[in-house]
Amino acid sequence: MNKEGKMWRHRMITWVSLVAAVAFAASAFAADPAAVMKNRKTVSFNGEEFPALAHLPPPPILPDLKQRVGPDGYPEKDSKGMPKLDDPIVKLGYIMFFDQRFSGDGSVSCATCHVPKEGWGLSSAISRGYPGTSHWRNSQTIVNSAYLGKLFWAGDSLELGQQGEDANTGLSGNAKTDMVEERLRQVPEYVRMFKEVFGTQWPILKDAWRAMGAFERVMNDENTPFDRYMRGDKTALAPKQIKGMELFQGKAGCIQCHNGPMLTDEKYYNTGIPHNKEFDKDPLIQFSARWQYYRKGVGEHVFRKAKFDTGLYSNTHVEEHLGLQRTAPLRHLVYSAPYMHNGTFDTLEDVVEFYNKGGGPDPVLRDFGFSTKTKRLKPLNLTKEEKEALVAFLESTSGKEIILPDPKIPDDGVFPGAIAKFGKLAPEKFIEKEKKKE
Amino acid sequence: MRNNRRFATLVAGLAVAVVALAGGLAVGGPPSPPPLAPLPELKPQRPEEVELGKLLFFDNRTSGDADIRCSQCHDPRKGWADGLALSDGYPGTKYFRNTKTILNVAYSDLLYWDGRMDGGKGDLDSQVRDALTESYWHAMDGRIMLQRWKQVPDYVQRFKAVYNAEPDFELTLKTVSAFMRSLVSKNVPFDTYLKGDQHAISEQAKQGLALFQGKAGCIQCHNGAYLSDQKPHALGVPENPYVFLTPKRHTSYRAVLRNLGVPNRMKWLEDVGHFAVSKDRQDIGKFITPTLREVSRTAPYMHNGMLTTLDDVVEFYNKGGGSHPNKDLLIRPLGLSPSEKAALVAFLKTLSGDEVIPPDLDRLMDQKKLPAYATYDWLKVEN
Repeated sequence: MNKEGKMWRHRMITWVSLVAAVAFAASAFAADPAAVMKNRKTVSFNGEEFPALAHLPPPPILPDLKQRVGPDGYPEKDSKGMPKLDDPIVKLGYIMFFDQRFSGDGSVSCATCHVPKEGWGLSSAISRGYPGTSHWRNSQTIVNSAYLGKLFWAGDSLELGQQGEDANTGLSGNAKTDMVEERLRQVPEYVRMFKEVFGTQWPILKDAWRAMGAFERVMNDENTPFDRYMRGDKTALAPKQIKGMELFQGKAGCIQCHNGPMLTDEKYYNTGIPHNKEFDKDPLIQFSARWQYYRKGVGEHVFRKAKFDTGLYSNTHVEEHLGLQRTAPLRHLVYSAPYMHNGTFDTLEDVVEFYNKGGGPDPVLRDFGFSTKTKRLKPLNLTKEEKEALVAFLESTSGKEIILPDPKIPDDGVFPGAIAKFGKLAPEKFIEKEKKKE
Repeated sequence: MRNNRRFATLVAGLAVAVVALAGGLAVGGPPSPPPLAPLPELKPQRPEEVELGKLLFFDNRTSGDADIRCSQCHDPRKGWADGLALSDGYPGTKYFRNTKTILNVAYSDLLYWDGRMDGGKGDLDSQVRDALTESYWHAMDGRIMLQRWKQVPDYVQRFKAVYNAEPDFELTLKTVSAFMRSLVSKNVPFDTYLKGDQHAISEQAKQGLALFQGKAGCIQCHNGAYLSDQKPHALGVPENPYVFLTPKRHTSYRAVLRNLGVPNRMKWLEDVGHFAVSKDRQDIGKFITPTLREVSRTAPYMHNGMLTTLDDVVEFYNKGGGSHPNKDLLIRPLGLSPSEKAALVAFLKTLSGDEVIPPDLDRLMDQKKLPAYATYDWLKVEN
């Protein structure tokens, strides 16, 4: 590097550090998610600077959300290290997370695809969708989602409340505001809780998403061996894991995209992830995937030909964004297999092997004749031991499995005025159809 | 002479005034209702369009969770209604009104009990859209549905043959509404009678017809070929308490009021009817006069199914209806004798023709026999 280049780099680092420091200072006062995620330290790789790996800071809490945190800024845990759910807004969000009223036909809740015992994601490659449809991507864990600035694989939503609303409609929940909001108002326990938390006479659906976001913000896995190590406990990682971390930041070059406390830069790349063969077998996945591209207004020239997940392009409609997915965070991985946006890899070993080969062939090139694949991927020539060390390191970013009891879902009630007017009659009995189903 | 002339002018003037007054009265008086008539012929339809619409009408994949189809509530074996007091609605919901028959819908001006949609004489496609997409019925995203059809090679072929196009949401509406327009009563005894066959209906029914147009006054609202003036009226039918005591029904009711922009939806504990459409308080409790065609097949009756049999309905009118502040002045006690009531019922039964049943109903009722999804070679077949 010549003198001028060094000078420039020096200035750049100073400038970046200064901005980061200011941002960090600001974050102490206003919990701006972006500011919190800014990192003071950087590491260099191939002459480029990247945010250093770090332990998880306290999660950003929305300034307008009355959500409790402990004295250290983290949401409190119980004696078993599980998230405490006694904050009224968190409790409300937690109950609703499991409530099937939030889907069109009352058969699906958030917990249907974010299953507590499957790492709060889903263990199938492709997430299940609403009955009669399928999803077309892998279900991501909600654990640590508080720290993400971009949600969904292509970053469609920027905030947990909005993410819930987006997932609720379409092929996950197929629900509509009119019905879901009225359903909430029919539940006396919800009416009481919403009044307590939000001060409204009747539940408002927007507030339901905010409460669910509050619940998700306590679902953090911040006491992992990796975090303890980064906080200074040098015994928290085994030597093999430490070697894996060195490879991660060195020879394997993972740090180029997987950096900062969440081990993601939240930017978008095409790595040539292979086609998932599930797509060849299931007509529901086929039409649901087409629906996704169609509803996002992908132009016809792209719609007809794209036989891969168009990713960021479906939001931006910029051709260079075809096939780009947001870098996945590398936390809680032990519980959240399978991996990649289409769940095509079952194990971390598969993932490491994929990158060892320099990623896969570019589906954009296949379908459109030009490539959007990232130039950062090259064959790594990792030895067997090195691959094992990388996997061992990737396992260190998972702490305890988070298991919570299923909440009791409150019942529908009759409006007091209706009982006063019509009296208490025996419940309506009928419906041949329901009998048939039983 | 002058005086005489003045007198003559005065007389002439008075005469003009009297004539004008009389004429005015005649213009302002109650117009005689349109006479009963046989159903007129409809424009011929394209059989292949009706056929595709029929398949989709019976296809569960027209609903969000692929669990219900139009025929779930419009069952050919139940007069194209469902035989329930209150309709079921989409799984996970319950509806709050009675299912109407869709037979002869081609002749209707307005649809739904509150008249919020155009009937078959107008934009029936929009009614199909409403039934498919609203959360209390099919809860279907039209864009998912069209991708479902593209997954069914048989439907792809049929859309191509009928419309020379790929499956499409708007074309789905068009083809289903074409099928609905094809559902017309056949060999209706009353129509045969009107066309001149004196033996098509019994003497008792003829007596009922006379009452219908006379003493009972039914014709004031049930008139024309469709036997409905298709206007809103309040009769004071008692509320069905289960609309408000069954939480899922009350929920759907408020969802509809919300969609129609009705104020104070949390407070209504009565069915506001046409008010939800017009927002005119005089329309509270008013419902669009239903057709009486095929009426003997579509019990129970009224917007909320509160009357179980035709005898109950006749008795209800005989007593002068129920009570409601907006009750129509036309509804008054009738003083009908038991034999007169029986005659009216006998007449009402002549309004049903042959049962309209698709010849391939058994196949249509079995989802497995409908055109199936294909699994395409994903990487090779264009989207």
